[in-house]
Amino acid sequence: MRSLHIDGDSALHRLPAGVKLATLSVISLALFMIGNSAFLAGAALVGLAGHTLLRISAAEIWRRMRPFALIVVVVALFTAVFNGTTEGLIALFRLAALALFASLVTATTTTGDFIDVITRAAMPLERLGILKARDVGLSIGLVIRFVPEILSRYEVIRDAHYARGLKPRPVSLIVPLIITTLRSADEIAAAIDARGIRRQK
Amino acid sequence: MATRDLVLSALFAAIIVALGLVPPIMLGFIPVPITAQSLGVMLAGVVLGARRGTISVLLVLVLAAIGLPVLSGGRGGLAVFMAPTTGYLIGWVFAVITTGYLSQLLVSHSQAGFVQTVNFFVAALFGGVIVLYVCGISYLALITGLGFSKAFMGSLAFIPGDVLKAVIAALAGRAVMVGYPLLPKRA
Amino acid sequence: MDIHFEKVEVRFEGRTVIHPLDLALNGRRVGIIGLNGSGKTTLARMINGLVKPSAGRVTVNGFDTVERQDEARGQSGFIFQNPQNQIILPLLREDIALGLKSRKLPKQEVTAAVEAILDRFGIGHLGDRRAHELSGGELQLAALASVLVTEPKILVMDEPTNQLDLKNRNLVERTIHTLPEDVIVISHDLDLVAGLDRVLLVHEGRIAADGEPGEVIGQYRAMHEGKD
Repeated sequence: MRSLHIDGDSALHRLPAGVKLATLSVISLALFMIGNSAFLAGAALVGLAGHTLLRISAAEIWRRMRPFALIVVVVALFTAVFNGTTEGLIALFRLAALALFASLVTATTTTGDFIDVITRAAMPLERLGILKARDVGLSIGLVIRFVPEILSRYEVIRDAHYARGLKPRPVSLIVPLIITTLRSADEIAAAIDARGIRRQK
Repeated sequence: MATRDLVLSALFAAIIVALGLVPPIMLGFIPVPITAQSLGVMLAGVVLGARRGTISVLLVLVLAAIGLPVLSGGRGGLAVFMAPTTGYLIGWVFAVITTGYLSQLLVSHSQAGFVQTVNFFVAALFGGVIVLYVCGISYLALITGLGFSKAFMGSLAFIPGDVLKAVIAALAGRAVMVGYPLLPKRA
Repeated sequence: MDIHFEKVEVRFEGRTVIHPLDLALNGRRVGIIGLNGSGKTTLARMINGLVKPSAGRVTVNGFDTVERQDEARGQSGFIFQNPQNQIILPLLREDIALGLKSRKLPKQEVTAAVEAILDRFGIGHLGDRRAHELSGGELQLAALASVLVTEPKILVMDEPTNQLDLKNRNLVERTIHTLPEDVIVISHDLDLVAGLDRVLLVHEGRIAADGEPGEVIGQYRAMHEGKD
């Protein structure tokens, strides 16, 4: 699983992840409060222009934004039809600007930096006894580690259906996938404990 | 939290991610392929219960937020949290809490198999469809200024598929409970 | 190693898995053999405090595995049957470093320790590979590195050659013989166990034989020869 982060050395890359996240929330709040289509269009343009800092091709920018383009256009059209063109344009530019600014933060921040921010943000929760801040990074690592294993297991189960001349059906695929995966939890947990990884010192 | 609970939650998060990456599953009786990721959210509730199920869904959302393409169609990054459909993502959390809580409340080992399946279905339907759509539609209505009734109309087409997913979640949840019971005992 | 089982008994869900036993382990390389379900894994897991005795106590280099669990655990490393389940972070280098994290060492020291252990097992080139891309033999070496990086004095291995082809099995056998750490190996691989200093035969939750490998293995074979 490749992250959507893009290596680089721009000013945005060097900005601490916490600052970027805080700025993003302020910007998104402002975009919601301002209902001026010209201003919002300008904001979307700034967000798009920011992508030149990433030094990627226009085609690559489009590839990254494509999943959002369709839904943004559909919602904008829907709004335009029911609430008029002005509202439709406001929705279009606002949603586009939001997606573009968010995409900038994602592209310029590494997974490790995000995990550090989350771990620090979780410290107050740790003091309240709700969770252990370090568990956050461990859990995220575990998920990334085991997704490929689960995909291989899924293929094995599907092939076992074909080998027996059975048509794969959702329930008969999902049940063995869940059971075999969760059965390994005991050994993984034992390995974590045996290595003293969650020891509090 | 016990290490085993942490691992179970993380593994289920990985299952939800994997379900977004496998090709859409064709159902025999309707000709539309369904993406299995929101099914994964219902499954997390029926299999793991409210607490661990919620942790696994939160993990998937955190992974998406930090830029990993873990949502169906390879979506990820902060932009998915700034989209018109974000309400459905946030709704996952409330959906899994509801599904998990209702599963723990309604289903017990002493019930007949059919009763267990029906109860799992009620839990998955209430959490994974009703609560989910309330979140998704409210958010869509608010963020776009469309108003509730229009936002509801725009979402209507997806409801039958999600009801079907609740059926699958119920059948699978009951089968997993027989094969490898994990649901916390009723308090 | 200096491991003592004192009047140890293990019961699980109403069943006695280990009948009361006294045992001292202090050799360099000890093997444990026996049928599936005989209790050998339970016995080994007690050394790392993963299984707690229902009665009696287990001490490892003087540390009680229940009362002083952290210290007792620090004495031994455990390699599980399926090495796939013990690499828990995506990149091997990250995974190995994880064991050192709870020690709060400076970053450079962690990096140096990780590189040293990768070198020791000749798998420096695998450091940035993803765990699910590694072969069975590579995974077994990776698991060894991830456990030995914290410098335990004793290494417990559960079926280390179970899923390996002959080439990787021989690699693991050579590795076991060259490890400076004391080793406890649970295995069905009688050729592997034959090369150790002492072998225990576990049968139905009791130690049925204990001594020189050739004799104990002979006894194990005799017990099950020609029987179904």
